[in-house]
Amino acid sequence: MTDVPRFRFDAEFMTADTAFRVRMHRLFGVLQGLASNPATVIGLVIIALMLSMAIFAPWILEPNSPDPYQMPRDWGAVRKPPGTPGHLLGTTNEGGDVFYGVVWGSRTSLQLSLMVVGSTMIVGTIIGSIAGLIGGWVDEVLMRIVDVFLSIPELIFALAIAAVLGPSFGNIIFALAAVLWVKYARIMRAQVLQIKQNDFVDAARVIGDSKLNIYLRDILPNAVTPVTVQATLDMGNVVLIGATLSFIGLSEAGIAEWGVLVSEGQAGIASGRWWASTFPGLMIFLWALAFNLVGDGLRDALDPRTEGR
Amino acid sequence: MQLRDYILRRLMVLPVLVIGVSIVVFTLTRVGGSPIGIYLSHEMTPDEVAEIEARYNLDKPVWVQYLYWVRGIAEGDFGWSGVAAAPVSDVFPLKLAATMELALAAGLVALLLGIALGTYAGARRNRMPDHITRVVAVSGASLPQFWFGILLLIVFWAQIGIAPIGRSDAAIYASISHPTGLYTIDAILAGSPAALWDAIWHLVLPSATLGYGATAIIARMMRSALVEELQQDYVDAARAKGLAERMVLKRHARRNALVPTVTVIGLTFGFLLQGTITVEIIFRWPGLGRWMADSVLRGDQATLMTYVLFTSVLFLLVNLIVDLVYANLDRRVTLGK
Amino acid sequence: MRDGKNGGATVASVRDLKVHFRSKRGIVRAVDGVSFDIGHGETVGLVGETGCGKSVTGRSFLRLLPVPPGILAGGSITFHMHAACTGCEGAGCEACGCTGRQASRNRPVDLLGISPEDMRRIRGDRIAMIFQDPGKALNPTLPIGAQIAEVFLQHRTEEIIALAGLPAGTSGAVRRFASQSPRFGDGWLLALPGVRAQRKRIDEALARMVAGALAETQVPNPAKLMARYPHELSGGMRQRVMIAQALACNPDLLIADEPTTALDVTVEARILGLIRELQRRRRTAVLYISHDLSLVRRISDRVAVMYAGRIVEIGTTAEVFANPRHPYTRGLMAAVPGTDTPRGKLAAIRGTVPELVDPPAACRFSGRCPHETGACRSNDPVLETIAPGHSVACFIDHPAPSGERPTHDRVAA
Repeated sequence: MTDVPRFRFDAEFMTADTAFRVRMHRLFGVLQGLASNPATVIGLVIIALMLSMAIFAPWILEPNSPDPYQMPRDWGAVRKPPGTPGHLLGTTNEGGDVFYGVVWGSRTSLQLSLMVVGSTMIVGTIIGSIAGLIGGWVDEVLMRIVDVFLSIPELIFALAIAAVLGPSFGNIIFALAAVLWVKYARIMRAQVLQIKQNDFVDAARVIGDSKLNIYLRDILPNAVTPVTVQATLDMGNVVLIGATLSFIGLSEAGIAEWGVLVSEGQAGIASGRWWASTFPGLMIFLWALAFNLVGDGLRDALDPRTEGR
Repeated sequence: MQLRDYILRRLMVLPVLVIGVSIVVFTLTRVGGSPIGIYLSHEMTPDEVAEIEARYNLDKPVWVQYLYWVRGIAEGDFGWSGVAAAPVSDVFPLKLAATMELALAAGLVALLLGIALGTYAGARRNRMPDHITRVVAVSGASLPQFWFGILLLIVFWAQIGIAPIGRSDAAIYASISHPTGLYTIDAILAGSPAALWDAIWHLVLPSATLGYGATAIIARMMRSALVEELQQDYVDAARAKGLAERMVLKRHARRNALVPTVTVIGLTFGFLLQGTITVEIIFRWPGLGRWMADSVLRGDQATLMTYVLFTSVLFLLVNLIVDLVYANLDRRVTLGK
Repeated sequence: MRDGKNGGATVASVRDLKVHFRSKRGIVRAVDGVSFDIGHGETVGLVGETGCGKSVTGRSFLRLLPVPPGILAGGSITFHMHAACTGCEGAGCEACGCTGRQASRNRPVDLLGISPEDMRRIRGDRIAMIFQDPGKALNPTLPIGAQIAEVFLQHRTEEIIALAGLPAGTSGAVRRFASQSPRFGDGWLLALPGVRAQRKRIDEALARMVAGALAETQVPNPAKLMARYPHELSGGMRQRVMIAQALACNPDLLIADEPTTALDVTVEARILGLIRELQRRRRTAVLYISHDLSLVRRISDRVAVMYAGRIVEIGTTAEVFANPRHPYTRGLMAAVPGTDTPRGKLAAIRGTVPELVDPPAACRFSGRCPHETGACRSNDPVLETIAPGHSVACFIDHPAPSGERPTHDRVAA
């Protein structure tokens, strides 16, 4: 075999400008991939509708005072079916307007998912990076903690945490954040370890780049992809688990939250009042579905290998 | 050789993880302060309170309390369940049997249905059955089980009125003995078709609710694994031998696609365990999940600790077994390629 | 064009084969009008670069193309099925003129036109295939023996039943078992006491047949090998298994798609020797697909050189290697390093294979060809016979409809 020198198109040969252009080109490809997948487009449309509902909630329905996140009670109109004037989707046994719950529940869900995903992403990324970069016993200890956290099924873990803290929506947020950061820590650590082995990181080290510099310039941007996919999937997942905890009874009763409403509506189904559970539950489903569709689409678009699967 | 090392390492890590989980669980119950509350009443004098503290070792440092708790578990003492008004260890097996019957029924159906659906879709890639399966798979991962269960109840229980609620008919329950606690098995042992029918009839809706998501997970994995396998050379080689497409699929592609599908069984198991909580609430199923939910709301810490510890250990064991099976199967596959 | 041995009988003739693939950028004409014959017992070497369409051509014989995106866009592959000679069972005797076939029962079929069921009957029985990487072409989850047995189960049911000592009229679950076409519930039927004994005899008969097929490829201890899984064997061993499997039913034509590319050089020589020997003994025609010119020279009777979906030169091995006419063939030969090649002086053909989406009406090699003229860019040369058993698609040896004619001399200058 003859040795033929091979040239590779690697980050080390790129100027900042080409690197930027390559990145933009890739981003464009990803967006194109997303747009060509009908399922993803459906997901994006649902997300857009949900977000506008959350943002424009005060204009759609007058906020309940003093606390707009508390269900308004109209004791004069209990157990009304959908289509009743003033109560588009009917009312619950306690005179709660289902439509109000659906609309303002989107705000509750948006808060829940943003807070949980935001905090877990930051905490998980930091811890995972530390474990991957420092290595040694720090890595060992942190990863054993992650393993222990992953040994407990997430809903059960979150349920236990929320239970000892007492029933409140804030505690559900905390419980979910406490459980879900480990995923990001794992992803981040794997990314750091994988990228650390790449030639260009070695090359950067040889020319005397500081570790932090290498991390910020080479490792972090590469890890964006899997973290984004996970975060998108979690945006839906978090609402699903949060609503489940609320349904079990770990939120304050009477707040405008979809899981609480499904639970409240459950009492009426024996007497044929199907609407109070159905509509809020449908919202949870659509929310989770939309983010799952977009998350899957994103993963396919970012990883050309899985095209068409 | 490598496989043996892998097994050994996994087995060595297992106790560490179990101890870790127990520490997490114990810490959780102490976050809200001393659990003495459940033993107290308004009439007690400070002396009586101190006496109770001493009796339950609550006056000792927290880590000593942890050791007492662990010793108790080792001796089979899981504490007193306020919700069940009995020792946890007495009630647990009964509730476990109820939950297991539900989870196993759902899991078995999900496994068979998921594999069948995934195979069907994967073999007809990008055609109608495939698209439908994808919709089922994605919706299954997004469907709130408690809502799906309520929908089924609205249709089949409240509106049509054919589905029962609970676990069995009281009269039928009384008519046979229940040595295993799994009512379907008990009915078969007692030779009572009526009891068997009753047990199955009560199982249908809850296990459908629980199994939908699990079916989706398995179908999705099976589908993508099969699509991957169908692109392998050995599939063409099998065709080149003159095998009919049906046999190529059954004997070659599906067989190999099952290997990666094994990996999601652990995930599915966790999914089923978690799902029992809400499903049991909705269908008034007297199992662990509903007990746990009641305990959570009424501060029954002994039950909560036992439940979390038990499910985690079970989850760990199932995942360990799945990993070992997969490592064994995968060695054959990866080395063969 | 035909130069088959043994009285000039053809096993297969490919005519104007066109295979297209749908891609995002348009229709890729992977194979675009390929014609050649394979004579009886003859080895035809099909050479070319990666992506020139040689594998697709080979796979077309068995219709093993991914559909979609592959489209059989036209042409025909006429296959002459020769029933084995009753006198010698294919070994070759005087009665059949050492061909091992009954010339009288010669039924030509168009492989591209027959029903899927007819195609299935031909696959593995009359036409077999060896794949590039035996590690990938064997099912990792089935033992070797079971995989070879499948060929017999598909095509030799009668023989299995006879060898098992069962009556020829055996039917039902046992027959379905011996033809690998189980029906729902056969598992229970086969577990019945009497049926189970029959099934066992079939298993034993099969094992004997498989061991026989394996023994042909000179593997040590075939009976033991049958129970092993592919990953337990070396690459050379796996390829022997593949060969045993391919030749199990004594096919008329063997498609060998780079069967030694994944192997070591030493193993390669042995596998080549084995194919050659088995082929001579059984008078099997071989279509040997490779990118390795020197290897093709060693094994083939005739050589076809493919470039960008076309055959650019075809002829007897001796003729083509002694007197290569097409600039591409010459380039390929120059690129093979010989012992006299100075260090660091590897010749390469400049440029890359053109896109096969909407190719213009020009010579496919124009743009890379050192002898190119204006005529090459506006006319598409076809294969023309320039000497007995030697055809070239180039204007060097036959004039273009218009314009000047390229010559080899211009390079030398």
